[in-house]
Amino acid sequence: MKFHSLFRYGRRVFCPVLFGYAFLGTQGALAHAPLGSSRLSFFVVQQQVSGRVTDASGPLPGVAVAVKGTARTALTDLDGRYSIAASDGEVLIFSYIGYAPVEVPVSGAFLDELLKPEARSIQEVVVNAGYYSVKESERTGSIARITSKDIENQPVTNVLAAMQGRMAGVSITQNTGMPGGGFDIKIRGQNSLRQDGNRPLYVIDGVPYDSESLTDGFASAVLAGRPSPLNSIPPGQIASIEVLKDADATAIYGSRGANGVVLVTTKKGKGGKTTVSANFTRGASRVTRFSKLMDTGQYLSMRREAFANDGITEYPEYAYDVNGTWDQNRYTDWQKELLGGMALFSTANVSVSGGSERTAFLLSGGTSEQSTVFAGNFKYRTGNVRASLNHQGEDGKFKLSFAAGLSLQDNRLPGNDYTAEAMSLVPNAPALYDGQGNLNWENNTFNNPLRNNLAQYLSQTDDLLSSLKLSYEIAEGLEAVTSFGYTSTKLRDRNLVPSTTSMPSVQLTSASSYMSMTIADRTSWIAEPQLQWRRSFGMLDIDLLAGSTFQMQEGESLLQLGRGFSSNSLIGNLAAASSIRVLGNEKKEYRYQAFFGRANFNLNKKYLLNLTARRDGSSRFGPGRQFATFGAVGGAWLFHKERLFGENSTVSFGKLRASYGSTGSDQIGDYQYFNTYGTTGIQYAGAIGLEPTRLFNPNFAWETNRKLELGTEVGLFGDRVFVTAAWYRNTSGNQLTGIPLPATTGFQSVQANLNAVVRNTGLEVTLRTENIASGNFKWTSSLNISFSRNRLVSFPGLEGSTYASYYAVGQPISIQKLYQYEGIDPVTGIYKFADLNGDGSVDYLDMSKTADLSPKFFGGLHNEFRYKSLRLEFLVQFVKQRNRDQALTMGFGGGMNNQSVAMLDHTQTGGTAGATQIYTAGFNEQAVMASYMYSSSDAVITDASFARLKNIALTWDVPTAKSTGVACQLTLQAQNLLTITAYKGGDPEFPAGGYLPPLRTITAGIGFSF
Amino acid sequence: MQNLKNSRGQQFCAVLLRACCTAVLVSCLGCDSFVGVELPDSQLSVSDVFEDATTANAAMAGVYSKMRDSGMLSGSSTGCSYVLGLYGDELEFYGSSDVDGFLYAANGLLATSPQAASLWNEAYRQIYGANAVINGVGESAFLPEAERNLLMGEALFARGMLHFYLANLFGAIPYVTTTDYQANSTIGKMPVGEAWQQARVDLEEAVSLLPETYRSPDRTRPNKFAAMALLSRICLYQGSWESASEHATAVIESPMYNFDQDIEATFLIGSSATLFQFSPARSTDNTLEAVTFIFDASPGDSALRDELVSTFEQGDLRRANWIRAVEDNGTTYYHAYKYRQGVGATVQAEYSKVLRFSELFLIRSEARARQGDLAGAAADINAVRSQAGLAGTPASSQSELLQAVLQERRVELFAEFGHRFFDLKRLGLLDATLGPVKNGWNTADANFPIPLSELLLNPNLMPQNAGY
Repeated sequence: MKFHSLFRYGRRVFCPVLFGYAFLGTQGALAHAPLGSSRLSFFVVQQQVSGRVTDASGPLPGVAVAVKGTARTALTDLDGRYSIAASDGEVLIFSYIGYAPVEVPVSGAFLDELLKPEARSIQEVVVNAGYYSVKESERTGSIARITSKDIENQPVTNVLAAMQGRMAGVSITQNTGMPGGGFDIKIRGQNSLRQDGNRPLYVIDGVPYDSESLTDGFASAVLAGRPSPLNSIPPGQIASIEVLKDADATAIYGSRGANGVVLVTTKKGKGGKTTVSANFTRGASRVTRFSKLMDTGQYLSMRREAFANDGITEYPEYAYDVNGTWDQNRYTDWQKELLGGMALFSTANVSVSGGSERTAFLLSGGTSEQSTVFAGNFKYRTGNVRASLNHQGEDGKFKLSFAAGLSLQDNRLPGNDYTAEAMSLVPNAPALYDGQGNLNWENNTFNNPLRNNLAQYLSQTDDLLSSLKLSYEIAEGLEAVTSFGYTSTKLRDRNLVPSTTSMPSVQLTSASSYMSMTIADRTSWIAEPQLQWRRSFGMLDIDLLAGSTFQMQEGESLLQLGRGFSSNSLIGNLAAASSIRVLGNEKKEYRYQAFFGRANFNLNKKYLLNLTARRDGSSRFGPGRQFATFGAVGGAWLFHKERLFGENSTVSFGKLRASYGSTGSDQIGDYQYFNTYGTTGIQYAGAIGLEPTRLFNPNFAWETNRKLELGTEVGLFGDRVFVTAAWYRNTSGNQLTGIPLPATTGFQSVQANLNAVVRNTGLEVTLRTENIASGNFKWTSSLNISFSRNRLVSFPGLEGSTYASYYAVGQPISIQKLYQYEGIDPVTGIYKFADLNGDGSVDYLDMSKTADLSPKFFGGLHNEFRYKSLRLEFLVQFVKQRNRDQALTMGFGGGMNNQSVAMLDHTQTGGTAGATQIYTAGFNEQAVMASYMYSSSDAVITDASFARLKNIALTWDVPTAKSTGVACQLTLQAQNLLTITAYKGGDPEFPAGGYLPPLRTITAGIGFSF
Repeated sequence: MQNLKNSRGQQFCAVLLRACCTAVLVSCLGCDSFVGVELPDSQLSVSDVFEDATTANAAMAGVYSKMRDSGMLSGSSTGCSYVLGLYGDELEFYGSSDVDGFLYAANGLLATSPQAASLWNEAYRQIYGANAVINGVGESAFLPEAERNLLMGEALFARGMLHFYLANLFGAIPYVTTTDYQANSTIGKMPVGEAWQQARVDLEEAVSLLPETYRSPDRTRPNKFAAMALLSRICLYQGSWESASEHATAVIESPMYNFDQDIEATFLIGSSATLFQFSPARSTDNTLEAVTFIFDASPGDSALRDELVSTFEQGDLRRANWIRAVEDNGTTYYHAYKYRQGVGATVQAEYSKVLRFSELFLIRSEARARQGDLAGAAADINAVRSQAGLAGTPASSQSELLQAVLQERRVELFAEFGHRFFDLKRLGLLDATLGPVKNGWNTADANFPIPLSELLLNPNLMPQNAGY
């Protein structure tokens, strides 16, 4: 039990720095009061300027009026009137939430102003970059963004689904079509050799959110792995999502920025009129597409031929399909029967927003419900409430922003996904129910798939997310900011498996029913004191930021297995189990500390330089390995401001930018550097056993990722055509990975830094055009496309290492090593493969053919049409990729499971040759083996590119009388409506078969506000 | 008024700010400890484990519980009792082709089969546990001498036993004696003979370290005689007849072991014919074997082959007591009934027997026959036969006696840890015996395939066993 000190070196440097700035902070605050607002007014002749601020509908109360470069401010009264001391030549700034700020030079004592609702050009949009925000036109880094407008029109319950196809460089794949399932997200490719070391950092309203699922995956088999933790963030509450990609944007997140950063900003209230808005959506979903499988006739003739090929004339007892036990005239399309249902989808959201000019609030709540395409009463339900409050002091110096949200999820699903079984079930298998409506086991010959309905996966997650940001302008241009965050997640997962899921012949009673239960929680808090200083020196604007982070996260999980119940109706109650075993009880603590800074120089709004740095310390590393420094430099040149391009030039905007820097990754789990024993929780002769937890290696450190980016952004014809292009090269070294080991070491891997370099290069292009903008009709399009290439650049000693079988230098790390298919042997009718190493036999050593299954390019094309109050928009997502052909990897033809119709074109013994080999019922060992090798050969790699109408939405703003103040909107939305692909298997998006593919969803919605 | 409010607000803010800064300072001064974490109380550091007898014993208990629950020695459907029953000629398969048993019954293992890989992986995981105990105990400064010898002996017993079974299943295997992953990840294979010899060395050391008395009265941790019994079997496999016979004699002559009065008591917890048995996971549990083999209507996955059932002689008490017939739709199926407390048992009566007294007689009989002591050999067979209520063996020549002992092993040790398959294998009888009764049998099926993943990760394990 050693207590490790991780901060030996950092303290010397940083404590004085912090001390200094804290001192400065308090001094500034104290010094401020006597300075007052009159200090700068000695040399100018001031007068009282007054006027009235209005918008199109009348006077605007609560508008902030400030004299630029001074601390003098005023607010408009109920009648929109204001009065402020200002001299001629000074500039008044009028600002009001939801309206574009206006700057007007003072000349005379009266100044009326008409404010226009914010319809800022994209270049003026302020982009959240995490610790700071930056105007779109002035950003030096690579940041992709979507807003509530893009999210609202999608019938999804997870934000990652809403991001699909909309952001360049961000590749998102859904793991399963089951509600509540997970997603795989990669920002600019795979940097780490560790599959699970490629998660981006999620930051919600400034608070990092751990994206590692709390469940251990033990209970959630039905979800094809772990559920997505981002389910806890209701899409309806999101104002914007920014994805930080390059070094300039991510280096300030240091050790956690290597895989990109996803910033989620939730909606905030608006002061003024109290607005209530509500929207309701209802719809239904179905599976996008099924595989084409054999019918009974085709299947049975395959089986009979298989037995004949194997020389077996008397069908074995277990071959119920052909030996007469089952009706051979029966046919069931099991995909339709088991997966063909309709899942219902509904959401409801209500929010109230309002407040005064200095205080605004937003209260919102929502629920959603999704059922499944399976039979049975299974549902995924969510509920959420959120409160947000913004306040600023009368003089605008003190600001407070608070938000807290609670989200609840309740998922109730069958114990298993039917998809794999629906494909493999024999087409003449018996009916699901007998005459009395009971599950039909057909005299113990039929393992009824609906047994899975008796098992249940129940999961409840409660998530509390809160953030508080306090800031105070200590002196002009100097602001102290402290943000706090607290998150708490609680999960309860249960998997109930009653004895009735087994065939009656097994004669299990409730005494062998079991349930597993995971109870896990995780809490974290973060405090980030910061100091920000802004100053203009003539043409040069300087913006400095320094801050520190203290974060702590604690978690505990308890996994229990209860077996033996006096009745199956008690299976949900662990206390009713006759034996309870604790399978795991894990406690974790993670502490993290950092110091970060940013210096931004803006010369003449034309030349920009952005420097960022962060020094990180993490408890995940052993003594002497815990600290590392990361940093980046970024620059931009706004060339359209050069004299070459005049006011009326075709080129309305032009920017060149570049950045270089380093980031890191510490996603390796806690306590990995300790040499420990943990409890097995299992008894032997009166003692609870202990086991070695892992192979011991204390000498590992940060993984680093060096990122280089060059980009350009050009706007033409008043930005009606806007093109961006970014080229990047990310080099990941010092790979922190569980190096796979042969099992003879007792474990499957050991944690260590591997001296290998992985490089991702890519090109991201976006094009936004305003095609038509005439009066009532408006058509805009935007296209994003990302080309990426991954390469293992170097790997000293790869040949002799344990990685030799997975990777090859110069190839992507996502390659698959395969056999080379050589056609069918004309004599035996069995698949042949090339003896690539020439050793005279074809075996695993010949698996040296490679195929890369990661996408070559991907993107999305979005179009929006507006005609008066009608709006139609659609998004086409497209991916160019290869994948295994599901139709050819369903096992050997002739076994007791259904096959794709592709297997019909087969080779007959002593007869015609076909595309696939001869059938076997499993007795021809050579053919069985060849069939397995075939599934691992280049023969099954096929084009799985697709273009998908990901989302289409039609919105109509119902005309209402303006005076009532009521707005009403009707929408029709569809997700995954149409898919164009040459892929023969199920859904082409899917990385692996056997799980429910993404669903096609059609919904209708109504929204109104007053 | 406005001003007053303002300055109050400012004062408040100044105070707040000061508080924040102080908090930052305090936490900063405490920086040293901020990113330091202690091990959670659910984990122990390795050095702590072996400085205390209780935790050191818990580490060994961890190894036994794994041997009992998973891998080759488990009574579950992953263990040799079931797997080799199907793979050889003891069990008939009735399940569907999508369960593990199908692959074994059809002798259809492939280098990529996860079943073979999990047997291999689990064995080496258990071996790592044993080596960690050997290491930890060896480096421990505070464990009392007696405790050290005991734990060291038990860990060597486990290591030797696991390697012995691995070699019998897979042929040439790596013999792992350290916890150093760098050495173990590039380790080469040892031919079967050498692996046996290495296991013998481990067992000999275990014999010298372990005391005669059991640590637990229910014989759930091995003593000197248990180690000797296993050592005797290894010597038999090696053909060291003299040593096999000698070690068997030492056990047979110990007053601690006797045949039970009643053959029904053989598999009960308190049987005095037990040398070593696994303690179940819970104080209410019985054996995994009972759960695996027993069925009450039609067979779940497997039933005893008719040839095995009919090979018992008339009047053999083992046929009557250790096999149960179940009628289903006019067909009679049989299952092993050595362990009777299956699913739904209400009392704890049986433990899984790893080493039994009767085997020693059969080992010695075979060794004696090989050495030419035919009378002694017959006497040993008859000691076992008389327990089963059978008359003395009619066999008299050496070859008849060897034949008789093989048959006796078949009916005495059926459905136990793959004895039958291993006997056929070491005697070179696999092809002749299994060929005619198993559709999918090939000569190369004698060895399981080395998992493909292992060959890919460690080229020193090449070549793959013939036929895969």
